Amino acid sequence: MQGPGIGWYVIVAAILFGTGALGVMLRRSPLIVLLSLELMLNAANLTLIAFARQQGSLDGQIFALAVMAVAAAEVAIGLGLIVAMARRGVALDVDQAQALKG
Amino acid sequence: MGDFLVWVVWFLAAGGCLATGVAVVSLTNPFYSALALIGNLAALAVFYLLLSAEFLAAAQVLVYAGSVMVMFLFVVAYLGGRADAPWAGGPPLLRLAAIVAAAALLVEVVVVLGLAWGDDLRGAAEITDTFGSPGSIGELFLTDHLLAFEITSIVLLVAAVGGVVLGTTPEKKDEEAG
Amino acid sequence: MAAGAWVCLLAPLAGALGITFAGERISRRTAGWISTLTTFVAFGGGLVAFFATWAADPEEREKVSTAYTWLAAGDFEVGLQVLVDPLSTVMMLVVSGVGGLIVWYSMGYMAGDEEERRYFAYMSLFVFSMLLLVESANFLLLLVGWGLVGLASYLLIGFWHQRPEAVAAAKKAFVMNAIGDATFALALVLLVWETGALDYLGVFEDVGALSSTIVNLVALGLLGGAVAKSAQVPLHTWLPDAMEGPTPVSALIHAATMVTAGVYLLVRTHPIFEAAVDVQQLAAVLGVVTLIAAGLIALVQWDIKRVIAYSTMSQIGYMFMAAGLGAYGFAIFHLMTHAFFKALLFMAAGVVIHHLAGEQDIRRMGGLREALPRTHVAFLVGTLALVGIPPLAGFWSKDAAISSALETGGALGWTLYVAALAGVALTGAYAFRLYYAVFHGPAHERTPEPHGPEAAHEAGHGEGPLSMLVPVGILTVLSAVGGLVSIPGVWHPFTHWVGESAEAVVEPSTAQDYFTSALSVALGLTGLYLARRAFAADRQLVTSPSAWQVLEHKLYVDELYDALFYGPAAAVSDVLRRDVEVPVIERSMDEIGSGTIQAGGGVARAQSGLLRTYAIAIAFAVCVLVVVFVAVR
Repeated sequence: MQGPGIGWYVIVAAILFGTGALGVMLRRSPLIVLLSLELMLNAANLTLIAFARQQGSLDGQIFALAVMAVAAAEVAIGLGLIVAMARRGVALDVDQAQALKG
Repeated sequence: MGDFLVWVVWFLAAGGCLATGVAVVSLTNPFYSALALIGNLAALAVFYLLLSAEFLAAAQVLVYAGSVMVMFLFVVAYLGGRADAPWAGGPPLLRLAAIVAAAALLVEVVVVLGLAWGDDLRGAAEITDTFGSPGSIGELFLTDHLLAFEITSIVLLVAAVGGVVLGTTPEKKDEEAG
Repeated sequence: MAAGAWVCLLAPLAGALGITFAGERISRRTAGWISTLTTFVAFGGGLVAFFATWAADPEEREKVSTAYTWLAAGDFEVGLQVLVDPLSTVMMLVVSGVGGLIVWYSMGYMAGDEEERRYFAYMSLFVFSMLLLVESANFLLLLVGWGLVGLASYLLIGFWHQRPEAVAAAKKAFVMNAIGDATFALALVLLVWETGALDYLGVFEDVGALSSTIVNLVALGLLGGAVAKSAQVPLHTWLPDAMEGPTPVSALIHAATMVTAGVYLLVRTHPIFEAAVDVQQLAAVLGVVTLIAAGLIALVQWDIKRVIAYSTMSQIGYMFMAAGLGAYGFAIFHLMTHAFFKALLFMAAGVVIHHLAGEQDIRRMGGLREALPRTHVAFLVGTLALVGIPPLAGFWSKDAAISSALETGGALGWTLYVAALAGVALTGAYAFRLYYAVFHGPAHERTPEPHGPEAAHEAGHGEGPLSMLVPVGILTVLSAVGGLVSIPGVWHPFTHWVGESAEAVVEPSTAQDYFTSALSVALGLTGLYLARRAFAADRQLVTSPSAWQVLEHKLYVDELYDALFYGPAAAVSDVLRRDVEVPVIERSMDEIGSGTIQAGGGVARAQSGLLRTYAIAIAFAVCVLVVVFVAVR
C-alpha cells in the first residue's frame, strides 16, 4: 500500500472520536450534540475501513455501510425530536431536559 | 513520486478532517457547524479512496453529505433563531471531567496502537482490483451478510415511522385529548 | 376385637368433625345429640372390644391393630396403632361410658348457651383424645393423645372466653401441663435412643437391658408428665383454677378422665417403673402428700366446685399411692369408682348451681333438701361413696388401695398407711361439711343478682330436664353398686382382669383388707361426726386463724411458684426488653430501614437527569473497559 500505514489512519480516527466526544459532553445545544455524534460515528467508520484494508477483507466496509445506514436513521429521529421540542416551545437546551432526574 | 503524492494528499485530507472536526464542535452557529461537518465528510471520503473503498466513498458523499446533512440544514433553517447555540457554561467540574475523559480515550488508543504497531499493523494485505468495488460489496451483502442487509432495511423503516410519529402537531393531539 | 376399638376411637372424632364442619347449619340441640350419640357409639364399640377380649383365650388377649405405619426407619416403626387388651378395654369403657353420660347431661346444662355447638365439638374432641390416649399401642401416639387432651382441656376451661379469669385459668392449666409434657417427651427421647423402639411391647422387652440411670431418668420423665396431668403436688395448682370451666367439663375432664390419665400412664408403663423402684415409690409418696394437702385445703374452701376439685386431687393421690406401690389393679379399680362418684358429685353440684342461677358459694346455700330432693339423694350417695362407707363403690376400692400400703410394710409402707388413713378422716370431714352446708340448715336468702360464671342460666329450674336427671340417676346407681366387682376374699374379677395387663406386685391378704376397712370406716364416720358437730354449732372445722390463712392460700404454693419462676422470668424479660429488644433489635431494624433509604437517596443523586453527566460517565466507563479488554488479551 502506498502512503502512510494503517496506524496513521487509526490515530486520525481516534483524534476525531475524541473531538466528537468532547462536543457531546460539552455543548448544550442538541443540534450541536447530534453533529458531534455524527463525528464520532464517522471516526468509527474510518477505523473500520482502515482495518478492512489492512486485513484485506471487505467485512469492515460492509459494517461501515451498515453504520452509515443506522446513522442516517438515528439522525432522522434525532432531528424529529428536536423539531418536536421546538414546536412545543421547549428551549433547545439539553440541561433543561431533566425529566429523568431521579 | 507516487508515494510522495499520496503522502501529501493524505496530510491535506487529515488536516481538513481535523480542522473541520474542531469547527463542528466549537462553532456557535449550527448552520456553520453543519457546513463544517459536510467538509469533514468530504475529507473522510478522500481517506476512503486512499483505502481502496471506492463504493463507500461515493456512498459517503451521496448519502451522508448529500441527504443526511441536507436534512440537518433543513431543520436548522426551520428552527431559525431558536437553534442558536452559544457556549453556555456548565459546572467547571463537568468540563474538567469531560476533557479528562476524552484525553484518556485518546491516550489509550495511542498506547494500544503503540503496543501493537510492531506486529499486527505491519503492512497491509494484498488486494485485487475489485476490492471495494460496488460489485464485491453487493455480492457480500447479498450472500454472507444478508441478515445485516435485511435488518438495516427494517431499521430504516422504523426510523421512517418514528419520524412521522414525531412529526404530529401538538394542536391536533390536544384536540384529540381534550 | 380391634374393630370395636377402632369404632370406639373414631366415633367421637367423627362427631367432633361433623359438628365443626356443619357449623351453623345444624341447630345447637342437634350438635348436642351428635356429640352424645357418637360417644355412646364409642361405648358400644368399647363393649364389643371388651366382650371379644373376654371371649378370647387369656394368652390371646393382647392385640395390636395397625391402621397405617407413619414412620419407619430401619428397625424403628411407629404408626396409628391401637392396643386392645384388658387394661385398655376397661379404660375405654370408663371413658366412653362416663363421658357419654356427662355429654348427655350437658345437653340440658348448656342449653341456651350461645356457643353450644363449639362446646359439643370440643367435648367430642376431648373424648376422642382421651380414647386415643388409652388405646394407643405406642408411646408416640400416647403422647399425641396426651397433648390433645391438654388442648381440649384448655379449650374447655376457657370456654367462656369473655371472662378473663377463665382465660387465665386455661393458660395456667396448659402451661403446667406443658411442663409435664416436656418431661414426658424427654423420657420418650431417651427411650428411643436407648431401645430404638416406641411401641409398648418393644420397649417393655428391652427395659431390663437399660442401665439404671437411664431407666430412672425415663421413669422420672414419665412421672413428671403424670404428675402434671393428674394435678399432684408439685404441679397441682392448675386444677382448682380449672373450675372456671362449665360444670360438665369439670366433671368429665377434671374428675373422671383426664386427670386420671396420669394413673393410667403409671399402670401402663409399669415395667419401666418396676425397674426404677425408687421413682415408683416417689410416685406413691407424692400421691400421699397430695392426698393430705388437698384434704386440708378442702376444709376451708367456700366454692362448691373447688371443694370437689380438691377432693379429686386427694383421691387421685390414693390412686398414685396404689400404682406407686405396685397394686395396679386397685389403682384402676379406684379410678373407675372415683369416676362414677366424682362425676356424680359434680353433676349434682351442677344441678344445684343451675337451680341457684349460678351461685357457687356454699355460704349462700342451705336447706336445699326440700327444693331438690332427687339431687339430694344423689349427692348423699356420692358423698358416702367418696368417704368410703359400705356397701357403696368407694368403700371397696379405696380400702383395697390403702391396704396395699399395709402389705408393703417397711418404713415406707407404714408411713403411707397411716397418712392414707388420716386422709380418710379428712375426706369425711370436708365431704360432709360440704353436704351439710348445701343441703341442710336454713335456706339462705337469695341475693337478687345471680353472679358467678354460670349466671346466664335462669333460676328456679327445679331439678332440671330429663337429660340432666337420667345421667345423674345412672351414676347414682353405679356409685352404689359399682364397687361390687371386687370383694376381698370373695371374688376379684376386676383386679384379675386388669392384672392380666399389669400384674400386681403387692397383694394384700383378706385379713389385712378387712382390718383396713374397719379402720377406714371408723375414721370416715369420725370425720362425718366432726363435720356434723361443727355444722350444728355453726362454726368451721378449722378454728385457728393462722391455720385458716395458710390453708386458704392453698399452702402458699402459688405464691411460691410466683416468686420462684414467674417473678424472675418477668424480671428477666423486662430487662431484656428494655436493654436488648428496644435499643438493639428494634433500633437496628429501624436503622436498616432508614439506612437503606439514605443510601438510596445518595445513589439517587447520581441520577442528575443531565444528559451530559451521563455522557461523561459513559466515556469514563469506556476508558476503563478498554484497559480491561487490553489487559485480558
